[in-house]
Amino acid sequence: MTTGQTNRTRTSIRALQVIIFGLTFIVLGRVFYLQIVEYDMYAALGQENSIRQEYIDPARGLIYDRNGRLIVDNEPIFSITITPSLFDKSNIPLLSSILNIPDSLLASHIQQAQDYSWHRTSRLFTEIDFSTFSAVQENLWRLPGIGHQIESKRHYPTGMKASHLLGYLREANENEYQQISTLRLGDKVGKSGLEMIYQDTLRGRMGINYLRVNALGQALGNFEDNTLTRTPVQGADIITTLDTDLQIFAEELMEGKRGAVIAMNPNTGAILAMVSSPSYDLDRLAGRLDLDYWQAINTDSTTPLYNRAISSRQPPGSIFKPLMGIIGLHLGIITPETEVYNSGAYIRGRAYRDLADIGEYDLEKAITFSSNTYFLSLMDQIATSGKLNEWSDLINDFGLGVPNAVDLPNANAGIIPDSTYLNNRFGDRYWGLGDVLNFGIGQGMISVSPIQIAQMTSTIANGGYRIKPHLVQGIKDPKGNLTNIHPQRKKIEWIKDEYLDVIKRGMRGVVVEGSGRWYANHQDIEIAGKTGTAQNPHGLDHGWFTSFAPMDNPEIVVTAFVENAGFASRSAAPIASLIIEKYFMGEISRNWIYEHVINFEPIDPEANNDLITPVNE
Amino acid sequence: MNNLREFSWSVLFTWMLLSAIGLIAIYSATQGPVSQFLPEYIQNNFFKQSAWVLISLFVLIAVQLVSPRTFIQLSYALYAIGIILMLLTLAFGTEINGAKSWLRLGPANLQASELMKIATILATANYLTSRRDISAENVRYALIAVVIILIPTILVFLQNDLGTALIFLALIPVMLFWSGLPYGVSLFMISPAIIVYLSVIEWYYGAIAAVILTCVIFFVQRRLWLSIASLVTGFLTISGVQLAITQLLQPHQIARIAAFTNPSYDPTGAGWNVIQAKTAIGSGGLTGKGFLEGTQTQLKFLPEQWTDFVFCVIGEEFGFIGAAIVILAFLFLFIRLLNMAGNHKHPFAQLVTVSVTAVFFVHFFINVGSASALLPVIGLPLPFISYGGSAFLTNTIMLAICLNMDFYKREFSIYR
Repeated sequence: MTTGQTNRTRTSIRALQVIIFGLTFIVLGRVFYLQIVEYDMYAALGQENSIRQEYIDPARGLIYDRNGRLIVDNEPIFSITITPSLFDKSNIPLLSSILNIPDSLLASHIQQAQDYSWHRTSRLFTEIDFSTFSAVQENLWRLPGIGHQIESKRHYPTGMKASHLLGYLREANENEYQQISTLRLGDKVGKSGLEMIYQDTLRGRMGINYLRVNALGQALGNFEDNTLTRTPVQGADIITTLDTDLQIFAEELMEGKRGAVIAMNPNTGAILAMVSSPSYDLDRLAGRLDLDYWQAINTDSTTPLYNRAISSRQPPGSIFKPLMGIIGLHLGIITPETEVYNSGAYIRGRAYRDLADIGEYDLEKAITFSSNTYFLSLMDQIATSGKLNEWSDLINDFGLGVPNAVDLPNANAGIIPDSTYLNNRFGDRYWGLGDVLNFGIGQGMISVSPIQIAQMTSTIANGGYRIKPHLVQGIKDPKGNLTNIHPQRKKIEWIKDEYLDVIKRGMRGVVVEGSGRWYANHQDIEIAGKTGTAQNPHGLDHGWFTSFAPMDNPEIVVTAFVENAGFASRSAAPIASLIIEKYFMGEISRNWIYEHVINFEPIDPEANNDLITPVNE
Repeated sequence: MNNLREFSWSVLFTWMLLSAIGLIAIYSATQGPVSQFLPEYIQNNFFKQSAWVLISLFVLIAVQLVSPRTFIQLSYALYAIGIILMLLTLAFGTEINGAKSWLRLGPANLQASELMKIATILATANYLTSRRDISAENVRYALIAVVIILIPTILVFLQNDLGTALIFLALIPVMLFWSGLPYGVSLFMISPAIIVYLSVIEWYYGAIAAVILTCVIFFVQRRLWLSIASLVTGFLTISGVQLAITQLLQPHQIARIAAFTNPSYDPTGAGWNVIQAKTAIGSGGLTGKGFLEGTQTQLKFLPEQWTDFVFCVIGEEFGFIGAAIVILAFLFLFIRLLNMAGNHKHPFAQLVTVSVTAVFFVHFFINVGSASALLPVIGLPLPFISYGGSAFLTNTIMLAICLNMDFYKREFSIYR
């Protein structure tokens, strides 16, 4: 061996050692970087990896009526789930025999689940009966990939429908997930009625369970002895203002008709009953969605999903006259003693027919017999004295033409025209007295909803207070603490008692000697009211009746509205009257009126019919 | 018998330390809470490995009893037997994890390619040091040495065991370099590996490396033709890599490469292993989560955590301290072995010791590099730590031969 070779050996050894040293320190540096520098990031990643959050749905709050009667509760529904990747298809005969269904049906359901996702768990059958559910539970060990799940659906224990008031639940849509961070895919939210307005109250707080999982997603039990687990908080209960018996009775009366009826406490605005007809069956929208039924109610030409009580927009007709009277008195255009002669028509540009008997009318008599001439003349003076906008503002004070305060979705503001509205509608100054005059008798462009008429009637009945119609009077949190909701009523300063006295007397007259004397009068209850007809280009007129009782110190306001029913005095008036009787007496003594309402057939006033004398309504 | 004080006890202790850490890691990876997700034959890996460690200890002691000349005498015979075993494996072997590299011999599965590492090192070393005038500077001798290494390389490649084939390939530059190949030429031979690695990440990294390597080769060797060849090879390599990525490779192979350069690209597919391995190591922190407490390990987020990803188990459960102990133990072993090589009078002993060190180092670098996402995932076990009987035995025998030649270095000389 030469010296050169030895030198080369020594150099080579050093070279190799340096290379190995360098590369090993690169590796060590890399590990240092991962474990020390980026520790926080990877520690979090490691946690996320092995700990899974499992959400526990809280029990949704219950809904009670004003007397503490349970009207909406939760009912368990049993579901069978499947994870297709874990399911052994040779188990199909076993599972189908347990479920007692044909193999082919089961196979097609499994195929559906598989098409949705191979690895994710989906529902195979929902709402199966409890005995089948327990049979599946017992056999779970033989059926890998099959799971079970208990969910809940809304249940309505009373015979009351109240579909528009209570509302239904549906799975939240994409928009709602984005807006509400606590929502998860598949969560149900209220989509109408109180379920929607009080969604946050009823829902409660989601519980979270932290589970340890492995890479295969298998749960390995709770994490750290549940120290991180958040228990679900059940939703708060809602106590409504509804009177279940009255609501059921009102629903019965409205059966087969199209329209709405509202019973309300005029002093507080608490809604005792509210019916929009036709309605739909909430039971059939609870739990699994019955698609055929959903399609049917969505495409029905009578629009059962639409809440006529708060959303419909109709001319009020003659029920507007009491309001006109109050405004006329306030503006000083009339006094209670002012008399207007009815010659059978009011002539102004054209002849406005008046079916009331020919003769002199003061305000009280004009309301009782619904004289058109009186109120057309009043409107004429309001318009010609340039007080149209003042008139409009005063009506707004009664809750007409302004957004409604009721605690239900999709309430309609209606229209009370003023000069701005008319300018927009016809163009600046392209409208005249002829367009304005019939506002005086509740016709023309005025439109209102039944709840607004009930609110207006309450203000007349309660001595000039503006109230807030509402369905919820209290919220009871899960600990049992009750929060009462009392919307404040507000005195409308300009309304004087003496105005109201005349109007109320006129309205009492309607029931005693006017158009309401046949179907609205009750010998033991002092009912006051007003009929009205909303002219309708399609078919028969719509009938209105709004009323309160008793005359002094009223306790209830009832407003009824029936579409295409002809004369209000025999369509809407008896419904309101029966509800008042039910409210005060608890039962119905006037069976012939009850039978008349249940078997109601509209009469066409245009046809020659001797049964009835045409009157103003 | 020699003076026992001349035995390199420190190397033996390092071997014991690494084996013990390996057993602890394999225990955690197969017998810990994770065992509920593992089939029984994998749970048994710990016991099998324990048996192999015990057997290997006896083999290590036994090897110390023979004369170092035995290795020279047996080298060609071992090489021939190895080739025959490899051919038998190709014909009758069992396929595990896509590689057909196991030969069933009674109760144990023998991985002939592992034993072939020893035979190839011994045979090549014997050839290159058999006569004094043989030098790798002579193209004819160099080519014969390359052929001796390439035959088993091709057989391993045919068994579909890419990782082990890389080990054999790595022997070529190391052994030729040691046998007199000039530095520049040696660098030229390993330059494609460096350029491939860098150009997989970004092609221009490879281009920069090719230019730098060419300059270094020129300054070391001062031969224009070699520098030009280096530059041309460099750019051919880059083009080859681009062609492979875009045209030749199968989608799953491309996915592996893509997963290496950007694991979040496909986190549930090819990137999964990379992310889970990094997460395991990273979440270990300084002191680790504790024995049997690693969530990544025990909840089976790691693939092959008893072999290719065993380093992640150590990193997660024993933290940076545990990982650094392993890395520094290896570093000590490498440096110590190279020092031994430097003290040898006999070139055969030098060449074998250096080659063995190179084999250990490449295993170590690729395994830990893969686990820490420094390199694309190439399935190679970590010597003395990963589960695998044949590999453990082979590595121990290689170490034992080095220890033997070191122990007898006074007698073992070309002058006697």
